Amino acid sequence: MAGRVSAAKALPGRLIAGGARLRPRRWRSGRRNRVLAALAFLGPGLIAANAGNDAGGIATYSAVGATYGYDLLWMMVLITISLIVVQEMAARMGAVTGKGLAELIREEYGVRWSLFATVSVLVANVGICISEFVGIGAALGLAGVPVQVSVPIAAAAVWLLLMRGSYRVAERVFVLMTIPFFAYPIAAVLARPEWGHVGKAIIAPSLHASHAYLFLFIATAGTTITPFMQLYVQSAVVERGVSTNELKAERSEVVTGSIFANVIALSIIIATGATLYVHGEHHISTAAQAAKALEPFAGRYAEVLFGIGLLGASLLAAAILPTTAAYVISETFGFEKGISRNPKEAPVFVATITVLIAIGAIVAIIPGLPVISLLIGVQVVNGALLPILLIFIWRLAASGELMGEYRNGRAFNVIAGFTVVATSTLSILLLAITFASIA
Amino acid sequence: MAATQSLPIMHLSLITGGVLRDGAGGQLGRVDDVVVRLGADYPVVSGVLATVAGRRVFVPAEVVREIGHGYVELSEVRLDLRPFERRPEEVLLKQDVLDRQLINVEGARLVRTNEIELARVDGWYRVVGVDTGLRGLTRRVLPRRLAPRVQLGRFLDWASVEPFTGHVPTVRLRVPHPKLARLHPAQLADLVEAASHREGEEIMSALADEELEADVFEELDPQHQREFIEERTDAEVAAVLARMESDDAVDMLGELDEDRRRRILELLPPLQARRVRALAGYDPATAGGLMSPDFVCLYATATKREAVGRIRRDQVKPNSVTSIFTMNLHRRLQGEIRLADLIRAEDDDVLADLATLKPRVVSPDTEVEEIARLMTDYDLTIVAVTGAKGELIGVVTVDDVLELVLPRGWRRRFDLFGGE
Repeated sequence: MAGRVSAAKALPGRLIAGGARLRPRRWRSGRRNRVLAALAFLGPGLIAANAGNDAGGIATYSAVGATYGYDLLWMMVLITISLIVVQEMAARMGAVTGKGLAELIREEYGVRWSLFATVSVLVANVGICISEFVGIGAALGLAGVPVQVSVPIAAAAVWLLLMRGSYRVAERVFVLMTIPFFAYPIAAVLARPEWGHVGKAIIAPSLHASHAYLFLFIATAGTTITPFMQLYVQSAVVERGVSTNELKAERSEVVTGSIFANVIALSIIIATGATLYVHGEHHISTAAQAAKALEPFAGRYAEVLFGIGLLGASLLAAAILPTTAAYVISETFGFEKGISRNPKEAPVFVATITVLIAIGAIVAIIPGLPVISLLIGVQVVNGALLPILLIFIWRLAASGELMGEYRNGRAFNVIAGFTVVATSTLSILLLAITFASIA
Repeated sequence: MAATQSLPIMHLSLITGGVLRDGAGGQLGRVDDVVVRLGADYPVVSGVLATVAGRRVFVPAEVVREIGHGYVELSEVRLDLRPFERRPEEVLLKQDVLDRQLINVEGARLVRTNEIELARVDGWYRVVGVDTGLRGLTRRVLPRRLAPRVQLGRFLDWASVEPFTGHVPTVRLRVPHPKLARLHPAQLADLVEAASHREGEEIMSALADEELEADVFEELDPQHQREFIEERTDAEVAAVLARMESDDAVDMLGELDEDRRRRILELLPPLQARRVRALAGYDPATAGGLMSPDFVCLYATATKREAVGRIRRDQVKPNSVTSIFTMNLHRRLQGEIRLADLIRAEDDDVLADLATLKPRVVSPDTEVEEIARLMTDYDLTIVAVTGAKGELIGVVTVDDVLELVLPRGWRRRFDLFGGE
């Protein structure tokens, strides 16, 4: 009994001071549920999908609406389904295997295939990275800040953010900055589009036999289903330690995120279709022009709203992109990654991030850059490279050896296969036409 | 392993894809993979997988005369045409090890296998190391004709690496990872955190003893603790917690939902349970902080004989069995029987009839003064503490209360400095 008294001694004054505490201090209840609730609100799925509506996305959707009105709306429905399927596969693989996509490709297909996948992802990522900084420049350009000032500052800020590791907080801020894009659905309604036409365009595909149509078609597919989104979702799911028990919650998060982002994309097309297209402005070449689609809602504040949204989306993607690229390279080659961003401990990781940001920023400040065409061109490259990664995702997610009971179901596998075949056909078609027009 | 430095080192990537030939130089097929048996310091080649006339065949090591870059030569043509199945501890180098992660025990980090180096040591072909650098990678990316020009790079000695085998169908759980014992718990925890969940589980289950496992748990971050607790039974978790430092144990318990936490807390040894409760912020001067989870509580339908049997079996401290308790089928506390009354009863008496006393209960938040008053007013030596649903979660005994209410000056000096 001797020791007990010393325990009392160690806690002097407790008898007098001891206000009864209702709950143990260090044990909070329902911690898990709060984690899940937060996940549902701002999870990898929503962040990835939102980053997909980046500078290139806005430019492409605006161009689609301005050039063809509602004619391409039907494909947004198909693309949304495809995006959900693809994102779900990536999230599921992350939860089941606990490994990133590049790592799985390396382990299951060997070093040559994984090198091939890595190079194509890098090519696509460099392009998108440029487009993000172009987007940042264009957004701040609306406020009169010259790109030579805004882009280097933004690049330095993003770089510091990634190196200092306060990334999670920043991610949230960037996502919140994309809230102005909610203005698009409102603007789309206020622009009083002929809903009969919109409805018909969504259900009945209308095809144009032209190079430009195919070009925008592929750009739309490329910007909506972007390789970095799958890479990001899978890595984020792994990093957050989502287990198979939480798969259901994670799935619904991915689905809502994808639908949400694509509803915005759809409204961008409708809003531009009901304004620019109707007024005969079929060709968008500046951000100010694209911002006009928000006028029915925001009036003269259209540019401000558009600018903030564009800035947020571009910053979000500009932060995510170099990180996913660095993850891909590290996973493929087996370099040290993530955990510490110290150049000495993870030199390749840090170097990849730095180089990507530098290229993006330097290209973006070249004077006289044809902004909108460049943004769309990058998305086309993306769309052309997309099938490569999709085939890997599809095969890996269907593998019983790797995924066990969590492999693709039969119906699911067919939809995923259809997505792969469709995107592959498109990119082969594009290559063929491009070569034909050169020859 | 200085000896390996002078030996001719062969690269796995130049052996696979080579020709399988007989002693006379006739081509039989193509070499696909090399089979080794883990366990030894330098795993021995136990056979070769090859494709002969479009069929996958296994070539046992006994008929292999020589292995070299671009070929495997047989001494006699004896092929096993049955579908290949790994024997215990066997792995396929290309399929199971190459391109995957390994634990580098020297640096306590995860590395990726870019190339596997083999050599003839002590009379037979063995794996001597893995290349994790760029040379191994370059050799495998280059076309076959150019690949041999890539010089041997620095490689990790196999004696200091440990492969993961969890993904290999038959060796699962059969290959121990003895080299892991060289690592510090903090290093092991870093590895577990860096690895995927399955690989982490493999490391955890390879830990030699529960003491070490508890140490690693202490070092893990909350997210990973949660992952690994989820897959363990209450008893296993309690066993780990019992060996952990109390404050780490409290943190880890905090990751659990309330139901599971309570179940596990009841399984902890009394001393640890007490410390954990106190640390968890049950004020030590309340019932929650004072109570012991040691008590005897039976369903009211049990007989005296059963109750006595229980007291005999459970090593509950004497102070805590001055009364035993009864509960209804919903585990709600119902009655109290003093030990003396129990002894005086007949063997077949049902506890419900003996429990004439309505127990005085307190909640975990009840302060010690209140308990002391209760004990004084009702002449109690033991007070039941019940949880939100009226279930018994602990008992406060008079000795615990006395410790706290005894005026300071009354205590013996030496007690103040006495240890546990």
